[in-house]
Amino acid sequence: MKSTGSRTLWLVLFGILGFWFMLGCHKQSSSTSASTGGSIHPYTAEMEKDDGQWVRATKDFANTRYSSLSQITAQNVAQLRVSWTFATTVPHGQEAAPIVANNTMYLATPWPNVLYALDLTKPGAPLKWKYEPHPSPAAKGEACCDWVTRGAVFDNGKLFFNTLDGYTIALNADTGEQLWRTHLADLNNGETITMAPMVVRNHVFVGNSGGEFGVRGWLAALDTSSGKLAWKAYSTGPDNEVLIGSRFHPYYATDKGSDLGVKTWPPDAWRIGGGTVWGFLSYDPQLNLIYYGTANPGPWNPEVRPGDNKWTAGMFARDPDTGEAVWFYQMSPHDLFDWDGINEDVLVDLPWQGQLRKVLLRPDRNGHVYVIDRATGQVLSANPFAYTNTTTGVDLRTGALQRIPDKAPRTGQVVRNICPDAPGAKDWQPSSFSPQTGLLYIPHQNMCMDEEGTEVSYIAGTPYVGSSVQYYAGPGGHMGELTAWDPIAGKAVWTIKDKYPIWSGTVTTAGGLVFFGTMDGWFKAADAKTGNILWQFKTDSGIIGQPVSYRGPDGKQYIAILSGIGGWPGSIVAGQLDTRDGTAANGWGKALPNIRNEVTAGGTLYVFSLP
Amino acid sequence: MIFSFISPMFPGHQTPLSPVGPQARHIEHNLLLIFSITSIVYVIVIAVLAYGVVRNHAREGFVPHTLVEDPEIERKATWIVGAALGLTIILLLVMMVSSFYTSHSTAVLAQAQAIKIDVYGHQWWWEVEYPINEQPYRMVRTANEIHVPVGAVVTIHATSRDVIHSFWAPNIHGKKDLLPGYENDLTIQVDQPGTWRGQCAEFCGLQHAHMAFDIVAQSREDFDRWYEQQLSPAPEPASSQAIHGREVFLTHACVMCHTIRGTTAGATVGPDLTHLASRSMIAAGTLKNTRGNLAGWISNAQSIKPGVRMPPNPMPSSDLNDLLAYLETLR
Amino acid sequence: MRPMLVSILLLGSLLTGCKREQRVFDPGAAGSQPANGTVLSEVAAGQQPPKGNQPNPIAESAYAVAEGKRFYQAYNCVGCHANGGGAIGPALMDSEWIYGSSLEQIHSTIVQGRPNGMPSYAGKIPDYQVWEIAAYVRSMSGQLPSDVAPSRSDHMPMVVPEQSRPQEHPGAEHPQPVVSEPSR
Repeated sequence: MKSTGSRTLWLVLFGILGFWFMLGCHKQSSSTSASTGGSIHPYTAEMEKDDGQWVRATKDFANTRYSSLSQITAQNVAQLRVSWTFATTVPHGQEAAPIVANNTMYLATPWPNVLYALDLTKPGAPLKWKYEPHPSPAAKGEACCDWVTRGAVFDNGKLFFNTLDGYTIALNADTGEQLWRTHLADLNNGETITMAPMVVRNHVFVGNSGGEFGVRGWLAALDTSSGKLAWKAYSTGPDNEVLIGSRFHPYYATDKGSDLGVKTWPPDAWRIGGGTVWGFLSYDPQLNLIYYGTANPGPWNPEVRPGDNKWTAGMFARDPDTGEAVWFYQMSPHDLFDWDGINEDVLVDLPWQGQLRKVLLRPDRNGHVYVIDRATGQVLSANPFAYTNTTTGVDLRTGALQRIPDKAPRTGQVVRNICPDAPGAKDWQPSSFSPQTGLLYIPHQNMCMDEEGTEVSYIAGTPYVGSSVQYYAGPGGHMGELTAWDPIAGKAVWTIKDKYPIWSGTVTTAGGLVFFGTMDGWFKAADAKTGNILWQFKTDSGIIGQPVSYRGPDGKQYIAILSGIGGWPGSIVAGQLDTRDGTAANGWGKALPNIRNEVTAGGTLYVFSLP
Repeated sequence: MIFSFISPMFPGHQTPLSPVGPQARHIEHNLLLIFSITSIVYVIVIAVLAYGVVRNHAREGFVPHTLVEDPEIERKATWIVGAALGLTIILLLVMMVSSFYTSHSTAVLAQAQAIKIDVYGHQWWWEVEYPINEQPYRMVRTANEIHVPVGAVVTIHATSRDVIHSFWAPNIHGKKDLLPGYENDLTIQVDQPGTWRGQCAEFCGLQHAHMAFDIVAQSREDFDRWYEQQLSPAPEPASSQAIHGREVFLTHACVMCHTIRGTTAGATVGPDLTHLASRSMIAAGTLKNTRGNLAGWISNAQSIKPGVRMPPNPMPSSDLNDLLAYLETLR
Repeated sequence: MRPMLVSILLLGSLLTGCKREQRVFDPGAAGSQPANGTVLSEVAAGQQPPKGNQPNPIAESAYAVAEGKRFYQAYNCVGCHANGGGAIGPALMDSEWIYGSSLEQIHSTIVQGRPNGMPSYAGKIPDYQVWEIAAYVRSMSGQLPSDVAPSRSDHMPMVVPEQSRPQEHPGAEHPQPVVSEPSR
């Protein structure tokens, strides 16, 4: 009896001690996770009219990726089946959104950037025409993360898309005849183009890629009829080249001053400073402003480039006609972790403290969903949607991201357990917004990394990174999450977890569904209110693309997705990399050691409908 | 030791015995004190020993004492040894206090207004950066030459990019180790204008002996002028020779290791050459920066500094001439 | 007598290690030129030329291979090929070789560049350094003896040291003899 008693005493003592230790641990790691407890608020403001087509990657100018088609519902989605498929014959990362206009579907493939037009009026959607731009094969060695493209855009009978080797091409959407072809990006300096262009009135907007090659980022506006350059706004450098003039009124003091694109860099570092523009653009017709983010400053190693590194890792509001900057906000000043600011801006009007405000929602790479007044650039709220231990939030008074200095990378030293990692809490994969629930559906990662800064040389045409990284799953052991986010409360409503990062975009429909894909090839439909998976289908490869929903010529609702693993993490499969090296694919080797044994490369379009 | 005493005769040469800064002065005082004490003690000890050896040795038929216990001698000996021991302890205490005082006084330079300089040790050269707080665009990067205003407090933030080095400018301060992955601070002040040589004081490989640097102390105005000069990018070459020289630079192995701001050359393996012609020495204090030396260095650095990272660069003499003409424009 | 002899022999055996660290200070480098003789195909029209099997001193020097590793970092090779696992460019630690795995073939791949993204380093890297990089690249897939290949590096452990990697068997380098008659 006595021995049992003393054992209990010991156990209790150990328990107390353990608890005490845990308390200590918790105190030290000032980390934040997404708070749950958000709620559904049906959206009351007006949205753009849906014509049942999908003419641009973002669906509408507001970037909602919401389809008002409601044939496919939570009740009947279980019967969803493949209607037809199409092989792109390019077994690399399929990040493009299929574009649907005038009863034709347009598919842009990764390099060699073939453009296929499929005739939706005929059964099985046979090939109507194809256009082969024959891009330079050398471009494959200058693109950081597989040979992807994020799609084309349809406008007024024309189709615009970019090639990896730096051309913007306009085609006659009916015949596939080339209208013009403008060379914008210089391959020999590491510039490529992967983004999906957007058209506002008579301008098509194109930005460059190459933030890992020491390029200087820009957004260009081309005349839609001639392909001539209307304006070009750089993301670094003197004000006249950034198109900062009298109309520029940033909200926060740190963005005010002359030539900050030069003064926040070491001498001449802005010339190779990154800030590329490879994400999606949004447009507000009433304010007549376009919104877009600028990518990471280069090189990754932050010690090489002291200063705030304007105007990288931030976002611009510009006049689409003149290119003049109207405001700017920097999410990650002096970016430490390759946190590109290129994530999408979803334009919505939200009731905010008693009044309806024109805001934009931005689930940023640094792990916060920003709610920003899109007329002024004022940050109304910024709440973490993923686990982070590198920042403690955003100071709404100054707009500054509050960093934890211990986690800053240093040359020649290994800093461990940096969360989120270099791909950030969320990379390019676009979220969607449903007016039915008022929720933002954010596909993202839950990952951490170890990082060592290295010395780095700028050698034109070769990578300019200066960092050794390896990634791994964050708390919980899963790498992917799909979070339904209540932007008003700044809280999550539900979260779906996945083994691999959810690198595909999402689409929401009036049928109360959210569609997304996983890297191991499952295409899934979740209930927009509860997050329950209602239907899933296994495709031939991994999914990293953008699902779309459209009304076919037969009046039926279709859901389309390109399957084909690739992109940054998926380049392990597409590029046949060796994951015995943890830094393979710039750090993904450690996170995805077995993915080549589970998923094979592909490039197939799947179109689903109800029977 | 002898070298240290002779070297003050050659002005500008590195020696702790002609200090030009407050810390080196403290170190010199300490050195002189310890040197004097130890010298005197040494001389006395040797003299006593010599006396003991010589005293009876010369005498014919001398037989050493047998060791017998004699309380008288014992008492005398105890007294002498005790006194010597006491004196030794006092002297050691004096030297200890003096050393403490020196350590303390070399560490108390006011750092609030200090100019900050980052120094990175490389095999076998010194990378120097001036990070001006809050104004990154005013950051200057150079090599093997540290300019400071006379009388200004300067904090040197030092680390190594490869092996352990040690930063030592004996006229100015003591040694400070440069450790990879760890940062050390050294605060200095130079009170006298001039060029003061320093060098690596921790064996760091083949060319450790050829890893020197200069500290150039100049008036505030001269320093500011130098600083503004260093800030500017390389000028556009004017002569056709220099224009071709730049082309030679950009199309040869040079671009793989060196930076010239204002051109596409942005590598950081070797020293930044944007203002090469403004520096008085090349190859980390190995050669005077003259056209001939530079030509030899570019053509075959291995014959000058065997094992150095700079590869031989054989090229037609016309190319070399043009390249030198270009490099001479980098003031 | 015997212990003396044994110790002399033992000390003498240490001398064999001297060559390992031998280095050349005056490599007499010219700007690297495309090595025109290098054949990429495994199959030759007419007849297979006899294999030139000259040992390359660079692939036997630990110092040269260590230098190759340094250049691999300094010239940004690491940016595309990571630490052997590959990223933008293909993996170098496996047995798959698009443009050949021999020292000469790797040399010419570096100097000439390759059309699918590999930039040309012609004229930019001294020839002897290209050989050193090529030798290091071979060490990544365990093609060099373990006393020559680099050991654990001072940086974040991301991959097994080159020295301890299993030797991969590129198809072209280790052809099996064609079986012509049924074995008895």
